[in-house]
Parts: sequence; structure tokens; C-alpha cells
Amino acid sequence: MVITVSRRAFLAVSAGLVVATAARPTWAALPPLKKKDVYKVGFAQTESNNPWRLAQTASMQDEAKKLGHQLVYTDAAGSAAKQVADVNSMVAQGVDVIFLPPREEKPLIPAIMNAKKAGIPVILVDRDVDHSLAKPGEDYVTFTGSDFVDEGKRVAEWLIKAVGGKAKIIEIEGTVGSSPANDRKKGFDTALKGSPDMVILASQSGDFARDKGRQVMETLLQAHPDATAVYAHSDEMALGAIAAIEAAGKVPGKDIMVVGVDGEKAALEAIIAGKMGATCECNPRFGPGAFAIMKRYADGETLPTFIKNEDRFFDASNAKDMVATAF
Amino acid sequence: MAVSDRPTAGAVPAIATELGPWLSRYGTLAALALLILFNLAVTRNFATWQTLNINLTQVATIVIVAVGMTLVIASGGIDLSVGSLMAIAAALAPLIFLNRIVTFPSLYLGVAIAFVVPVLLAGLFGLFNGWLITRYRVQPIVGTLILFIAGRGIAQSFTDSNQVIFSTPEFQFIGLGRFFGIPVQVIIMVVIVVLAAWVLRRTVFGKQILAIGGNEAAARLSGVRVDRIKQLVYAISGLCSGIAGLIVIARNSAADSNLVGLGVELDAIAAVAVGGTLLTGGRASVFATLIGALIIQLVRFTLLANGVPDAAALVVKAGLIILAVWLQRRVAT
Repeated sequence: MVITVSRRAFLAVSAGLVVATAARPTWAALPPLKKKDVYKVGFAQTESNNPWRLAQTASMQDEAKKLGHQLVYTDAAGSAAKQVADVNSMVAQGVDVIFLPPREEKPLIPAIMNAKKAGIPVILVDRDVDHSLAKPGEDYVTFTGSDFVDEGKRVAEWLIKAVGGKAKIIEIEGTVGSSPANDRKKGFDTALKGSPDMVILASQSGDFARDKGRQVMETLLQAHPDATAVYAHSDEMALGAIAAIEAAGKVPGKDIMVVGVDGEKAALEAIIAGKMGATCECNPRFGPGAFAIMKRYADGETLPTFIKNEDRFFDASNAKDMVATAF
Repeated sequence: MAVSDRPTAGAVPAIATELGPWLSRYGTLAALALLILFNLAVTRNFATWQTLNINLTQVATIVIVAVGMTLVIASGGIDLSVGSLMAIAAALAPLIFLNRIVTFPSLYLGVAIAFVVPVLLAGLFGLFNGWLITRYRVQPIVGTLILFIAGRGIAQSFTDSNQVIFSTPEFQFIGLGRFFGIPVQVIIMVVIVVLAAWVLRRTVFGKQILAIGGNEAAARLSGVRVDRIKQLVYAISGLCSGIAGLIVIARNSAADSNLVGLGVELDAIAAVAVGGTLLTGGRASVFATLIGALIIQLVRFTLLANGVPDAAALVVKAGLIILAVWLQRRVAT
């Protein structure tokens, strides 16, 4: 094999390398984490206005307590600017490691870089940042979170089995443009490809909210009375859809099979009551996983750039046993 | 339908064309009729009771809030806090009937108090809006912005931002029950619309609201107790929001203080604007607001039922407001 590299390309590449090296003096040097018994750990929560976030915070706090670490906790109240300030103040306090669910993909980059410069490793939880601006394994240790595509796929596979490969489906999407909505749709729609009798009649956004999900379902059910299944991108919308189905005089779980994602307690109760078919968990309990990653990193292990947070799957077979552990 | 009251004696400018006055008077009604005809031709299963039922139950809360908003706008103000006040009432009510605050000897007593206290509390917050605006001469958009922001925080603090889930048919009657086949929330909506329309057209209080909106200084000089009337108007808007908040949670069997009433202020203002009421105050029609809300609702239903995505629905909604403003300009020039 002969490789020819033009002079111009060679110059361009080497010039680019020089610029990259000059601009980032700490290139490719992830700050190490000393092995200790007790760590001072920062957790910069993004907001606390929903059950999922509250469950996530509780899980981090419980695990820190269990392991005897000191947890520095902040709540950015839904503001990326405050979250940056929170991380910077953790750097100033000299924490050993920072767990961060970045609110948005770009604005949190300076905070991550600042921590790296101060020699504090950052582990991203449940949301990732823009990889063109900060790289896992280089600027931050790794990203751990749910695989939304897989969640959609697992729900689809369950539904295909439950209805014998034949259904007319109404899909209620999450907030337009959000990554869980995009990926849960992708996973579900792709998994249906092999089943020609699984038809999606309509797909509209319900904004991840119960009230909106109900209104959308009321309207779509009126336009498509022949629907036999509903796939909602969140349990809240699935529960709204159940209310709409009941208001239309049909029996959810019998006339129309309802499936969702999130695994919240109310959904499991609906499964036990026979109103809902199944839901794939989007696990908010990051504590054990996150601290295990921290330990592996301190042990000097080279970590993958994405570590999946395992999601459970709930249907009538296990809902009763699991409902106590749902958020 | 779009009859407007003009308390101040001013000559209405003559309109050159014959179509002008007809359009400004019946334009919104004609638009609603056109929408219905369009749906009859295009949308599947449109001519059913269920369609009427869905649209009326969905629009009820917005209409109730928009009625309060119409009175506020008639007085020359605006109320941005309505969504947050809905959330306050919505967050408080379940805590009462679920006996989370005090234990009531009977469920019915708890439910009765859960109807009254949250609505009154929302009314009190509305009164606070009015007090800020009249006592300190804060502009209404700024004065009500305070509770728009703080109100949701107050609602969240009631429940620690958690969603409260319940199944209490006695309470949920206002969202799920029916009288002679008519949903209760639709009856509440009709009662509020008729009452407000009567107040605005036939009572001294109504005339005084319009007088203040038309020319506040003149109203004050002619002996209208401007501050008191304004405070009352904002309190009424608060009461309406409280009622709407209760209906929303009754319908969903859940109270989520983060989401109840989110964005409702804009829906309500849009309903008033599409109905043809001038946002400068002094002229208003509650029935026109009802028609405006029905148009917005029906447009949303039409687009959704025919598979048009949400983003397009928002653009169409904006287009409707432009059309309404254009119709108003025809009258004004």
C-alpha cells in the first residue's frame, strides 16, 4: 500500500497540531485521583423541580453517606450560569472529585475546563456535553447515563410481543428537540421495522407532561378511534393518555394497550391495576454507579467514554415486587 | 357578538367600506364558522358529540382564566401571574382534602374546604397584585410579573416540588363529573362567562372598569374609586385562576406545582386578542373572548387531528393574532 500525502495536507495537519498543542497545554492529561478512604465529593445538581431529580439527589446523598464520603451539594435551580458558578466554587473549596449533570451541552464547558486545570477529575452523570469542545477521557473522566435509544427499543419489543405483532399505535412524543424524545422515538420506530403490522397512526408531542399528554391523546383518539396501542415517551404522558382513554369510554389495558418510559411509581401502580402494559425505567439512582466509577478511576483503571446506567423493565410480572423501589 | 361598550362620549370614526364594520363586528364569529366548516369537510369523526365534548372540556380552563384577563385588560391592565396563581391553588387543594395539613372529621368537609380555601387564596394573591399596582403605581406588567415568578415558587414550596397524586372522586367531580350529560367544568365555564358578561355590560361596576380603562384620569375626576375597582378586578382574575387550577388537577388526578398553568397567561391574552378586545383597555367583550378561545382551541384540535406538527400549530396561532390585530386596525383608522 502506498500512501501519498500532499505537501499542503501535511503542512495543514502539522500546523493544526501545533495550534492545538499550544492552545491546550494540558492536552490529554486527565487529572489523577489519589487513593483515599474518605473523599470530599462535589455534586452540582442542575435543578430540583421534579421527582426524577429529587430521586437522583437522594441517591447520591445516600451513597455518599453509606461510603462515608463528604458530599458538597449545590442546586443550580435550572440555570446553566449558576451551575458554572457552583462548579467553580467547588473547585475553590478544593473537592477531590466532581459529579456533574450538565444542564446544557455547551455552557458548562468552561467549568469542566476550570476543574481540569485545578487538577480535579469530573464525572458527568445523566447528560453529556458537546464532544467537539470537551472530550471524555481527556477533559473529563467519563459520562454515565441511560441509553434512551435502548429504552425505546425495549418498550417496542415488549409491545410487539404483547399484541402479537399487530397494532395501530398512537405515539405521544416528549418535548420537541430534546434528546430523550429524539432517541426514544428512534429506538421505538427502528424496532418496529421488522413488524409490518405494527402501524404508527399518529405521532405528536405531549411535552413530557401529563396534562398535555391527556389533551393530545383525547384529540388523536377522536381522529383515530381504531387505535389499539399507545406509546408515550414518558410515564406522565402515558398516565394522561389513560385518563383520555377512560374519558372516551374505552378500557385502557384492554381496548388500548398503553406503554411508557421512566418507571415512576404511579406508572407501576397503573400496571398493577391492569391499566398500563409496561414501562422501561430511566433510572435516576446514580449514586452506587457513580461512586463505583470514582473508585475504579482512583484504582487507575482506564474507563470507557460512556458507562451505561442500567435501566430495569417493568410489566405485570414484576411491578408488584418492584413498586416499592420505584421513584 | 363583538359588541363593545364605550362609556366615554367619543365619536366612533366612520368607516368607508361596508365590509369594515361587518368584519370587525362578526369577523371572529365568521372565522369560527369557517373553521367548523373546514373540519366538517376534512377531519375524520368531527361531527360527533365526543368532539364537542373534548373541545369544550379542553378549552374550559383557558376560558375561565381569559374571562378574568378580559376584565383586567378592560381596565387597562394585564395579569401575567394567572398561571402561577393556578399552580398555588392546585398545589394547596390536594394537601387539604388528603388531610396533609389537618385531619378533617369527614371527607366531604375536607373536599368543601379544598374547593373554597385555595380559590380564595388565589383571589387574595390577585388582590395583592392590585394593591401593588394601585398603592405603589407599579405598571401592571411589572406588578404581576412579581407573582408570575414568586407564585410558582410558593406553589412548589407547598409540595417540595413533588407531584401529588390522588384519586378522590368527590373532589374530581369538577373535572370529571357531569350534569345531565354536560361536563361540570363546561357548566362552570358558561356560568362564569355569562356572569362576567352581565357584570361588564349591565352593572355600574362593569361601566367603571371600562371607564378606568378608557381614561383613568377622567374616571378618577368623575368620582370613580379607581384604586378599589382595580384591586377588585385583579382579585377576580385571581379567583378565576384558582378555579381553573382546581379543574386542571381534578382532571389529571395529579397536582404538579411545576407544570400546572405553565404558559396559560399567554393563552389567555391570545384568546382576548383574537376575540378582538383592544389591549389598551376601555373596550371589552367577554363573549368575544370566548369566541377567541374557541378559535385557538379549534385550530389546535384541527392541526393535531390532521397530523400537523406542534411547531406549525404555534405559527398558525401567531397568524391568527396578526389577523385579529389587522381587523382591529380597520376599526381604529
